[in-house]
Amino acid sequence: MMTKSRSKQLVICVNNEGYAVSLEKRKLYEVLRDPVAEKNGLLRVVDESGEDYLYPKTLFRSIALPLAVKRAVLAA
Amino acid sequence: MQFEILGEITEVETFASGSGIREIARLRRIYGRGRWRKRKGIAQVRLSNGSTHLAEIHWYEAAGIGRKEFKIKNLL
Repeated sequence: MMTKSRSKQLVICVNNEGYAVSLEKRKLYEVLRDPVAEKNGLLRVVDESGEDYLYPKTLFRSIALPLAVKRAVLAA
Repeated sequence: MQFEILGEITEVETFASGSGIREIARLRRIYGRGRWRKRKGIAQVRLSNGSTHLAEIHWYEAAGIGRKEFKIKNLL
């Protein structure tokens, strides 16, 4: 469990232009690892649909939370 | 939309509609009431880094409103 929450990444949406249904500004989203997408400037993000899609990295910023908070957010 | 669709979208199909779309309330609030469908297809896309890829893309669509929020599900 500890390893799992450490390997998962959370990002905050800073721009939802063109994706008003799928993303909300200032909201945290879970990122799934996708090396091919990352090489192309994309992040695999679980959006408001509950599914993961590839979005430009520029729409998000990485966010570092205390581990206990991160675990709680991922479990919520 | 943060990428460009090159040419035709092929293998188009509807995979969710109406209340079967989890984010239906957001769709109606942001784009208006309509017979919303969630559709998918295959297309050549150009990303913002200039690279082109065959990709599975998803979008929302309603008669009279049109296609909204093209998203990349996978690079093929």
